Amino acid sequence: MALCVITVLLAGKDSPGQSSAEPGSAKPGSANSASAKPVNAEPSVRVPSNVAWTAQIVKIASGGDAFRGLLLARRCNHCHGEEGFSSVPAFPNLAGLDRLSFWKQMQDFRSGKRASPVMQPIAEGLSARDSADLAAYFAMLPTASDAQDNRAFPQTMHEPPRATIAIRLIVFGDGQRGIPPCQSCHGPVSYVKGAPPLAAQNGDYLEQQLEHFADGNRANDINVRMRSIARQLTAEEKTAVSEYYGAGLGPGVNSR
Amino acid sequence: MKKIGFVAALILFGVAILSTRYYMVDLPVYHFLGGGEVLDPATLHLQGEFVESNLGAAEGPSGSLTVRMIAQQFVFVPQCVQVPAGVPITFRMTSADVVHMLSFLGTDYGLKVVPGAVTEATFTFAKPGTFKIPCHEFCGAGHYAMRGQLNVVPPDQFASLLPGERRTCELR
Repeated sequence: MALCVITVLLAGKDSPGQSSAEPGSAKPGSANSASAKPVNAEPSVRVPSNVAWTAQIVKIASGGDAFRGLLLARRCNHCHGEEGFSSVPAFPNLAGLDRLSFWKQMQDFRSGKRASPVMQPIAEGLSARDSADLAAYFAMLPTASDAQDNRAFPQTMHEPPRATIAIRLIVFGDGQRGIPPCQSCHGPVSYVKGAPPLAAQNGDYLEQQLEHFADGNRANDINVRMRSIARQLTAEEKTAVSEYYGAGLGPGVNSR
Repeated sequence: MKKIGFVAALILFGVAILSTRYYMVDLPVYHFLGGGEVLDPATLHLQGEFVESNLGAAEGPSGSLTVRMIAQQFVFVPQCVQVPAGVPITFRMTSADVVHMLSFLGTDYGLKVVPGAVTEATFTFAKPGTFKIPCHEFCGAGHYAMRGQLNVVPPDQFASLLPGERRTCELR
């Protein structure tokens, strides 16, 4: 009986998935062609991401089916762990990720706006609906610790004194240099659409992404938000913040 | 008779309000009533004049300077703009999320930035200097750390813009 349900769900994956791929990508595409006229005379337009948080797209991204996501998530388990926690600290943890941020990253991998030789072919095999289902599933996974699971997650800080730098940036930011506090967008104080929670994220991954944002290798953030901030951070601050979050010390729901 | 007095008091109150506060208060709805452009704050990065490759100081019509900026939670983009002193500079700004307000600290100028509308104003900065641009309207948890910078340089130090160039600078 259960097997039957699984087969039906997997078989139904392709056709509705393909059709629901349209709304996710149609809106930005049509918007682009409609008004390419005034800017084309100017420097070439760079679009960081095809995802825009219109009401329609928020509905698609957050309306996934977690059970279908559970079945699809088997292809993620190998790198991102059975419980959404990867065993390699350079790979991101997916457990407890916010639906919108997960969905946006999958769309950006698919369109190549976020370059990744590993993730792009995988994301190309997933429709907008598949990504929404996966997002619903991973958003549901708990971030509580589990001794049975082979996860890299809480790693010890290499230099504990750096924790003070990290706390200052996470809680207060640095207004003089235009760095807002991490927790004002990534939670738990407040959230901004598309900003992932960081409390259960791997430190190595975070540091690598901060560096990519700073040097422009990763440029899929809407309106240059994260690039502006990462550019202002010193190498030591990047390491401190990443290690602090990677040690499971960062503020957040169920962070430990 | 009592009614007339009441109505008169109300009218007087209204006149007092209109003559003092009305022009000071810049409600978002005025931007839309004034027939300005209406943008979708969610799709600024996809098309229009506020795409990321068009932000910064640019050459406007008839050789004037136009600065385009986005205010968003909790950064200004670009974070720092370089402009020459003594030249009228047109600011065109919009917000990607909520209402922001900015003042150029040390000058008399300020702007209100409203999502969906374009705020346009022309300022002339008499003296060169570095002016911080704090957000002046509570916009969320990171509001107090939202800060940009305006570098006003002497006109001879401002290298003329190449066609299609957008001038920004490093926030220090």
